[in-house]
This record gives sequence, C-alpha cells and structure tokens, in this order.
Amino acid sequence: MNGIEHALEYWYPIAMHNELSNGQTRRARLLEKELLLSGGANDSLTVTCNERPLALQSAFDHWWVTLSENPLPLFTIPEADEAERRFVPCGVVRVACSPLRAVENFLDIAHFPFVHTDVLGAEPHTEVYKYDVKIDESKDEVIASNIRFYQPQAAKSAEGGIETEYIYRVPAPMVAILYKTCPQKADAMDVIALFVQPLDEQTCDVWPWMALYDDTSTMADLIQFQQLIFLQDRSILENQIPRKLPLDPGLEIPTRADLTSISYRRWLKKRGAYYGALENC
Amino acid sequence: MTTQPVGLSIDLAPQQVMRAIDGQYDMAVWRSTSGVVSAWENRCPHRGMRLSYGFVRGESLACAYHGWHYSCEGYCHYIPAHPELTPPKTVRPVLYSVVEQSGLIWVNTEQDAMPVALPDDLQPVRSLVIECDLATAVQALDTRQPHGGVESLSDTPKIITFETGGISQGAVVAIQQSQPNRLIVHMLVQSAVTAKDKIALSRLIESVRRQAESACNEAT
Amino acid sequence: MSFTLHNYVLSGNCYKIRLMASLLNVTYESIAVDFHPGQEHKSEPLLQLNPAGTLPVLTTTDGTVLTETQAMLVWLAQQHDPSNSWWPVHSKPQITRVVQWLGFASRLTATVGELRLHSMLNKPVNVTAVKTGAKVVLRELESHLTEQRINNLQWLTGDTPTVADIACFPYTALSPDAGIEHDDYPAIRRWLHRLRSLPGFITMPGIYELHELRKPDGYTVSDATL
Ligand SMILES: N[C@H](CCC(=O)N[C@@H](CS)C(=O)NCC(=O)O)C(=O)O
Ligand code: FES
Repeated sequence: MNGIEHALEYWYPIAMHNELSNGQTRRARLLEKELLLSGGANDSLTVTCNERPLALQSAFDHWWVTLSENPLPLFTIPEADEAERRFVPCGVVRVACSPLRAVENFLDIAHFPFVHTDVLGAEPHTEVYKYDVKIDESKDEVIASNIRFYQPQAAKSAEGGIETEYIYRVPAPMVAILYKTCPQKADAMDVIALFVQPLDEQTCDVWPWMALYDDTSTMADLIQFQQLIFLQDRSILENQIPRKLPLDPGLEIPTRADLTSISYRRWLKKRGAYYGALENC
Repeated sequence: MTTQPVGLSIDLAPQQVMRAIDGQYDMAVWRSTSGVVSAWENRCPHRGMRLSYGFVRGESLACAYHGWHYSCEGYCHYIPAHPELTPPKTVRPVLYSVVEQSGLIWVNTEQDAMPVALPDDLQPVRSLVIECDLATAVQALDTRQPHGGVESLSDTPKIITFETGGISQGAVVAIQQSQPNRLIVHMLVQSAVTAKDKIALSRLIESVRRQAESACNEAT
Repeated sequence: MSFTLHNYVLSGNCYKIRLMASLLNVTYESIAVDFHPGQEHKSEPLLQLNPAGTLPVLTTTDGTVLTETQAMLVWLAQQHDPSNSWWPVHSKPQITRVVQWLGFASRLTATVGELRLHSMLNKPVNVTAVKTGAKVVLRELESHLTEQRINNLQWLTGDTPTVADIACFPYTALSPDAGIEHDDYPAIRRWLHRLRSLPGFITMPGIYELHELRKPDGYTVSDATL
C-alpha cells in the first residue's frame, strides 16, 4: 500500500472553467485512474471514471473532482472572494516528479537566487533569515510566516528590487498557497497557489493560480510571468533523486532555511499522506 | 569491478560537469578551474538534485538548486542560505576513484581506478554512444577490419586496424559498458594522424553504429 | 524600437529572436501572446497577422511581417550587424553552409520541439516518431560538431558564430525538457556552453545562465577567464 487510500479522500483540480466547450471531451488521469471529461451547456462539466459520474465542485476558476464517496471538505482561500483582485488561472504544466516534490519546491525560498536568477533572487542576497513555522491546529494546515527575501523583480508589476515578505500555507498535501508583498498595493498581499493533480506517484499536472492586485499588466503578461517561474522549477523537479519524496530524515540533509519543508514532511507523515513519498505507510 | 573509461579528457574542459552512468551508478564527473577531475555520486545530499546539473566555481562544484558549494574532496564548505555557517563534515556525496590517463577519464565505483596501459601520445577522435549489447557491437566492429579478432575488446581497449574507404588506420577503441544496451565507444589515434583521417574514422564508427543498432533491432 | 515581436515566453522559436536581438544589442517591443492556455495564436486577430497560426511574428516599422524565424534572424543580422559576421555575406561558401543549418533548425523544431510540447503541455503528437526523429537530428548535429572540433572550428559553419548557431541552439539546449539529456552528446555540450558564454547571452526557462561566470558577490566575470 502506498497511501493511495489517504490520497483518495481529497479534491483535485481537473480543468479550468470554460476550458471545454459544449460537446467537447478530453481524457485525464488522476491517481492512476482514467477519467473522461465532457463539456456541457452553460459552461458545465461532467467527469466520469469507468462511466461512473464523479462529484465535482467549482472553486478558484477550476473544476475540482474527487474519487471518494465521502471526501474531506475543500480548503478555502478567502482572498478568492475579493472582487478587486485579478484572478489568473495559468493553465496546466506536466512534470515528471512526485506531486509532493512539486509542493515542497513551491515552499522553498533558498533556491530563488540560483533557479530564478535576477527575478526572484540574485547573489549575493542569498541568506534566508530566521522565520516561523507552525501547524495551525484548528485548520490542520502548515503555516510559515515572517519570511523576508530580497527580490530583483518580485512580480510582473515590480519596478526594481524590493525586500519581499512571504507567508505560506499548505491546506492539503497537494496544494500550496503563498502570500507575498504586493508591489502595487502596500497594505495588501498577492496570492499565488499551486494546485497539483497527481497522475501517479511520479507524475503530476500542475495548475498555478493567482489572485493579484495589478491593473497595468495584460492577462497574457501575468500568465507568462508565472509560467517563466514555474518552468524554471520544472527542470529542477525532474532531476531530484529519488523521484519520490523522502519523509524520514536521514536521506536528505536540511538546514534552518528548510524549516517549512521539514514541517511539511512531518505533517504528511503524521496524517499518513504517503502517496508520492518514498516510504510506505 | 573493472575500471571504466567514462569519457575523453578533451570532452571535459575546465569548469565543466558531465554525467556518467556505470550500471547502477549515476555519477557527476567534473573538472575544476585548475584541471582536477572528480567523479561523485550524482545526488546532492541536501535535496537530491543531480549534481551533473551543477556549475563549477574555482575549485568547487556548486549545486544548481540552492548553490551549496563542494570542494574537490567532496566536503560542503558554503551554504548560500546561511553564509556564516560552517557545514558539518558529514555533508558530502559519495566519491569514486578517478584517474586521467592516455587522454581518457577512468572511473572505478568500488575500488581504486586502474587504467589499462595504452601508448603515449594519443589524440582523441570522439566518444560515441551505441545502443546495443556488447556482443553485437564487437561483431559489427569485427566486420570492419581485415584481420578480425576483436573478441577480447570487452576486457581491454584494443588497437585495431580499420581498413576501409581508402584509409588503413590503427585506432584505440575503448568500450565503456554503461548499461546493458548502452555502450560508449571512445576512439583515439596516434598523433601523426591527419584531421582528414580522423574524420574518416569518426564516420566509420558511425557506420559501425548503424550496423550494430540495426542488427540489435532486428534481433528484438 | 526597431521591430515588434509577438512573443511567448516558453517558445524556443520566440527565444531565438529574443536571443539574437540581445546578442546584437537591439531593443524591440514585445507583445505577450497567450499561447498556453489561451491558444491566442489561433485567434482571429493573430491569424490575420499570421495565417499559419504560429509564433513568433516579427513586424518591422516599414510594415514587413515575418513569420519564419530563420528569416527573422537574417533580417536582424542584415539590419543590425555592421560587421557582417552573423550573416556572412562576404563568404559564398560559408553562407551556403549557414543556409544548410537554417534548414536543419526546422527539423529540430519538428522533432525535439514537438516532443517538448508534448512532455510539458501535453500536446498530442506521435511520440514514437518524434522521439526517433529527435535522436536522428541530435546525432547528426553531434557528428558535425565533432568534425568541426577535429578541424579546429568552434561553431557550426566556421570559426565565428552565425545565425545558424542561433537557429539551432534553442531546441538543442531545451532537449532535457523533452526528456532527452545531453549525456550522449559531448560535442553538443561544448558548443552549448560556448554559446551560453557569449556576451549579451540571455536565458529562458530550461536554459540556465552560467552561474560560473558570476562571482558570489554578484559581479559578472568577463569571459576572458574561460
Ligand atoms: N514558423 C515556423 C514555426 C514556428 C513554430 O513552430 N512555432 C510554434 C511555437 S514554438 C507554434 O507557434 N506552434 C503552434 C502550431 O504549430 O500550431 C518558424 O518560424 O520556424
Ligand atoms: S539540493 Fe543541492 S543545494 Fe539544495
């Protein structure tokens, strides 16, 4: 057993809103199962697995599906209700890596100067200062806060380098959300999320989504900024060995900068979220 | 465990990193700015990134992911996220024995690397991957030389005389058995050989590859 | 602004033009096209500009519209390279070789490029055919660069880089995105590294900058140290 039972309890992104027109169909894979998506009238969608219709819900500009009869509730993002924000679904990118490695990389800041050079980081500003990580008991989420990092171009709308503040949330094993300093609105934070659709333990489709304050950039500009960043990560993710995420400390050596990743791995282990992890439960 | 030739020295210039595979062993082979060659387990101890994607600064190999710097002895001496920290000696990938001799880089993943003695004064032609098994490749090579007899090629590099297309040329052929169906033929010649003849040999070994791979495909 | 480029950040063909412009130190106006997920290159306004529905599209101030990247590279070199080295008009034998490799570049797009779009964006392609094709073209390029090395020539068509090197660079460099590592291609590795060392070189996702050229204090070391 590889934790698939546990993974089946959750909701996963499967398509963007309005992606399939009426009568259009598309195949998809989720947790090693083959799904069929069919677009209907008025931007509706049905998803079936072996001709059995699956439960669907719509949130954050995406359709979410579950294979469970009795799923856990979908997490919330309160900022998704703030009408002044620009909501930017960025499409889907396939990555040959564990869905958990994709989430963990999203929680990492130390790689910015080397992987997102001159955009999200640059030498010599490499130091990761002390920050806080906790498990929010009421929501059962990993939360990292008080993170500061110097960024040459923090967002499409940024003009020049700024010290950026970050907060991270992991509300489900295959979802990561970050809040970062908004270059255009001093009192607000931009929201960027990574919704991961696990195809199997070593392959995933990743749906980045953003809720920003930016009224100057075009939609194509915003999407491409996010794709630039994520495709830089992709080359790293496909070259981490082993492909599955080790949860037990010992195989990989963390430092203080990896506190979020350490908590994420512990949190996965505690809840039995072994799908995509190296160890069996 | 035999010592394997993993590449031509010329194909690993200073400040370059390459990947070599020897059966189960996945390696990052790199040359420092001053010219020292090292062969390491291809996995950064931090978060598992392949070190063959890394970059060389001075006498260090740095990982592409978070930029951890490792000295030629394999010790991590700089963690950019914590510039003041002295990393513990335990942060070190597995090191393999590597020797450079006769224009080739030789690695042994289990004991000291013992290169096969070859004539001095060799010059590189090229390394070429052939996707087939050793027996088929040796057979294909055999058909290209009038006097036959390369069966023992599998053990040691051999000087074999090719006679084809107007050239009669002795060449050193060292075969690396990277994986069961992935061989790498490293070819060198004595230095008096002209560029024109080297190119003829390069094309000849490509022709050997076509023959070997199609024989292999027909068999399967 | 010498021209306008309809551009997509993940396209190796668009990157060819961005790279050439940067190497020649030319500024231009870039218009982001929502290629993925929006399929905007197949929308009516873009089809009116380029009925082929491909990117990039280069528009010059005099109204010329170019839709083939190899032509864009030649146009850029003709307009902005007074030394005539990137488009070597003064050497008939070399310019013939340049055109040969410009043609070859289309085969890289059709094989490695398609496989990459499949691996990354799940574009439906004949995987076996493009994989086999990719191996064939990369082996051809490897053999040619090996022969150039034996003849002491550093670049595809001679001892200086031309538009042919730029045309062949992106999809060769991006092959790991498609699951094809550079392990089997030592001559290609050396050529890629040389190209990435050129003054004015810029990156795209999947093609990293040479961090070895930066010092930890953030300053770039000149390529004289290479
Ligand atoms: N016009 C050709 C082809 C350019 C090309 O293939 N562009 C790709 C993006 S990298 C494209 O637009 N593909 C869309 C399609 O083929 O439908 C060239 O300039 O070499
Ligand atoms: S994985 Fe190598 S430095 Fe982090």
